[in-house]
Amino acid sequence: MTQVLQQIALVSGKDLRIEARSRQTLGLVVVLGVLIVVVLGLGLGPQQVKSGMAATAVLWVAYLFGGVLCFEKTMAVERHDGALAGLMLAPIDRGVIYAGKLLSNLTLMVALALVVTPVAVILFGFDLSAAPLGFAAIMAGGFVGFAAIGTLFAAAVSSTRLQGGLLAIVIFPVCLPLVIVSTQMMMRLFGDGEPLSGTGLAVLIAFDAIYLAVSWLVFELILEP
Amino acid sequence: MKEVNKKIMTAYWLTTTVLFAVSVMLVFMWTPVEQTMGVVQKVFYLHLPVAINTFIACLVCFIASVGYLWQRRQAWDDLAVSSAKVAVLLCGVVLLTGMIWGHSAWGVWWTWSPRLTFSLVLWLLYVAYLVIRPSIESRQRRALVSAVYGVVAFLDVPLVYLSVKLMPDIHPSSIALGTEMKLTLLACMIPVTLLSAGLIAVRFRLQRAESSATETTEELEPQAIVPGRMGGLA
Repeated sequence: MTQVLQQIALVSGKDLRIEARSRQTLGLVVVLGVLIVVVLGLGLGPQQVKSGMAATAVLWVAYLFGGVLCFEKTMAVERHDGALAGLMLAPIDRGVIYAGKLLSNLTLMVALALVVTPVAVILFGFDLSAAPLGFAAIMAGGFVGFAAIGTLFAAAVSSTRLQGGLLAIVIFPVCLPLVIVSTQMMMRLFGDGEPLSGTGLAVLIAFDAIYLAVSWLVFELILEP
Repeated sequence: MKEVNKKIMTAYWLTTTVLFAVSVMLVFMWTPVEQTMGVVQKVFYLHLPVAINTFIACLVCFIASVGYLWQRRQAWDDLAVSSAKVAVLLCGVVLLTGMIWGHSAWGVWWTWSPRLTFSLVLWLLYVAYLVIRPSIESRQRRALVSAVYGVVAFLDVPLVYLSVKLMPDIHPSSIALGTEMKLTLLACMIPVTLLSAGLIAVRFRLQRAESSATETTEELEPQAIVPGRMGGLA
């Protein structure tokens, strides 16, 4: 078990080290996220922005687009100099490669959220102090499921022409249940002032478990240099 | 053999057409007009059978996708894409008939009610399936990515259902139907199911023909572009 965790940390550490040195992905997704928040804020107009509730939906849009870019970039790194072939030759389970990539993507998404969320909170006058832990729990649940599916499909389409915005077409419809559940929970938490419901969280965790299990199972089939 | 197949298909489509005509007659001439909704309620006799057949088409796509992942045979991929196409068509009809019903019952063409949202997400899931395929050039890769997507999309269906349950609902959860209405609904179910199965079969045959044509072209192409051979021929 410890060995598997070490291998996951190695795969993920390699990705994050490359990112720390090049800072290609994070810079891009953070600017994209902020731009999305600003554009939607302008588009919604002062009346809608005042309510504060639009912030959660706007944040999801920023996370979704930023996330897709993260998934693409972490797989694109492996396309250079036949790195993926090398990774596949390594004496590790393909599931470990998946878990490592997932961890890298989650780290990048958390970094994105740490910058974009305060921007949206300020620009939309969103009162996050009402339930900061609830917000973090819902978003964490959403992120894990989203990244699970995103990592799988980014690997599936990385050797095809389906890069760029097209990856979003594959991932978004599958992730819509996550968006529905989390926005409904946010509305209850911040709009109606209800406490965080166990049922909602259980549904989110169930989603994550199903997405993770399916992705882990089929990842081996779709990985090719 | 080809002649026999042709005759069977003609008989199949003739039966479907006749049964459709009978169902339409039953809907408009036998069943009573519903009191609150009026004649618009009759769209329900198409709506429910088509909705059930949408799920069946999605299930066929899922089974075919699993079959492809299992055996890597092109026929499975052809069946998966054929059923996905029919699923998109049927789900589109469900959405349209649902909107017609909604406009009459609630006064708006669209409302974010759980079931409408569910149908929309289901439609989007399978539209994405069809849209991504042409972007993948390699035939094997296309079939593989589609099969993975086909499996994930079908497993997503119960999740979508669970998620929309959290939304406020104004859709009727159960409808009280008279005996004539129930019988007509059953009568409508048969031609709609025959139509869906027939459409999948026709699409599958076309898809098989397309695949074998592509296979033949791919087998011939490398020979045609070898310069030495061309030179030899010249």
